Amino acid sequence: MDNAEIKKNADFLIKNLGGKEIPGTAKVSIRYKTLVSFAEIYGITDPKYVGPEENGIVACHAFANHFTIKALYKLLLGMKLVQDGVERPFMLNVGKLLHGGQKYDWEGCVDVKPGDKLSITAKFGKVWVIEKTMVLFSEIEVLVKNQDDELVCKPLITAAVRPGGY
Amino acid sequence: MVKISDIKVGQVIKNEFSQITRELLREYAKASGDTNPIHTSDEVAIKAGLKGIIAHGLFSFGFISKLFEDFLNQEEYGKLIDIDIEMRGMVRCGDTLVTEATVTKIEGKRVFFDVKQTTFTNVDIKDKNGKILKQFEAGERGYISEKDIERKLVKTKEVDGGTLTYRERVSMPGTAIIELYN
Repeated sequence: MDNAEIKKNADFLIKNLGGKEIPGTAKVSIRYKTLVSFAEIYGITDPKYVGPEENGIVACHAFANHFTIKALYKLLLGMKLVQDGVERPFMLNVGKLLHGGQKYDWEGCVDVKPGDKLSITAKFGKVWVIEKTMVLFSEIEVLVKNQDDELVCKPLITAAVRPGGY
Repeated sequence: MVKISDIKVGQVIKNEFSQITRELLREYAKASGDTNPIHTSDEVAIKAGLKGIIAHGLFSFGFISKLFEDFLNQEEYGKLIDIDIEMRGMVRCGDTLVTEATVTKIEGKRVFFDVKQTTFTNVDIKDKNGKILKQFEAGERGYISEKDIERKLVKTKEVDGGTLTYRERVSMPGTAIIELYN
């Protein structure tokens, strides 16, 4: 992909993505084993996060990474746009996708527990490009709720896409 | 017990992790669902221009939330409200992650932190004549760039057997908020 095409694509995405709802809802079912496996990666041994199933456990905070990534893959990478009358995916090469930043807001949120069924929706926030490197940045505002419509987490993802990836 | 009256502006909490391996990143990929092969396959990562696999950004981020969980004794003393981090540098196998949070402000029961995760990447150990005695992955694969040298991120220190060359850079700066119960 040449520089002119990269610039053209960046201009198109900046103009068309900001504030746009990402279609669809990602669903994530939470299993006890998934929570424990995740916590163990970080060497977590506290029974609150890795205790016996019958005692009841909750997800460690880092587990927000799990559903954030589900949102990124299921919603963002599946998203289609029409550019010059031709349908195209947002990401042209997933190998060019990097994580530019991450915010988790747990204000007023409830814990994630085994058996929960999470629903994840997202929309684009700000979209911009760094002219020097032509890395495209896009904020993705995510809402994660459980089966009782209770808020579980509000992640804000900053995706960074290197030239050739968008 | 951690109480709001015990917290002081300037207080620092810290953790360190130095066991990032390809196997751990594969386990993380499975547990997190982030199966992008740039994190698990050197071949794919090299094709993507990365010289070798890189850790998932959120993998490193997890040590920040763990820092606060440990400080709050798994939320016995308070709740983690917010973490907001910029991801600036790639983290590689063999790197050491040092996560530090410094109290910047206290409002009511809320404590505000500046957070900094620093990555230490060993390059090689040389003897006094400049002969390489041990080369680490970063040295073998050329992870250290000219830009790192220009920015004075590459440093040396004396260790057992010679001089260690390493890179020290802040890979994740940001902020966090916790709320204490007492």
